Amino acid sequence: MPNEKTLVLVYNLFMQYKNNPLSPHLQIYKWQISSLLSIAHRIVGVINILAITAICIWSLLLLLGIESYQPINFFLNTFFGKFIAVSLCWTFSFHILNELRHLIWDLGYGFDLKVSKITGVLALIGSFVFAVLFYLLGKNIF
Amino acid sequence: MHVSTKKWLFTKISSLILLPLMTWFIINFVSIYDGNYSEVAIFFTQQPSKIIFSVFIVFAFFFSALTISEIFEDYIQDEKIKNVANKLLNIFAIIMPLITILGIFNLTI
Repeated sequence: MPNEKTLVLVYNLFMQYKNNPLSPHLQIYKWQISSLLSIAHRIVGVINILAITAICIWSLLLLLGIESYQPINFFLNTFFGKFIAVSLCWTFSFHILNELRHLIWDLGYGFDLKVSKITGVLALIGSFVFAVLFYLLGKNIF
Repeated sequence: MHVSTKKWLFTKISSLILLPLMTWFIINFVSIYDGNYSEVAIFFTQQPSKIIFSVFIVFAFFFSALTISEIFEDYIQDEKIKNVANKLLNIFAIIMPLITILGIFNLTI
């Protein structure tokens, strides 16, 4: 029969294992452009696939016919509908630019810390510029 | 070839293919999202948008399954939960585009 000390030690070891921080240790790292973009890239990627899933469901709802589509059409023409479209322009453009940055790294370029920071800032600022461009192109404003 | 190398290659190839597809889709989405039933239905039923959209969702779900499994790897500690999450993710990544493609190919205006 193990004594109390042993039980406490086993319990502490178990809790230590359970509380072992997982990658990428968000609570420890100091925030900087590289970590910010890396985390944002993942979050935006998840948002994008959720949005694409919603778009797939949207396309399937067309099968229900013109009358069933009226509430969806009404919602998409409200402020929230436009907000979703504009937001998706940004999430898509951010993901495109940051993915391009990742592909350039994979080719072996842009690893220098200074260059990496510059491309990070460019991807972030460029995502807003591209979001506006995508929206204007979509609305045939050019 | 090691399974991780294959996974990395598939991720990179699919991301490269997705870049122009994402650009094409978001511009077209903005042009149709607030349109009426006919405008939206025409986009999903007429060529080449029907086939490009189908290719886009196949690659998008394939890419997401590969990359979200990396997120599970980083944040889920329990191996059993991780395996179940990955299996569910893979099933979802196959079923969702399949149902959508079947749906839009049966859509008529």
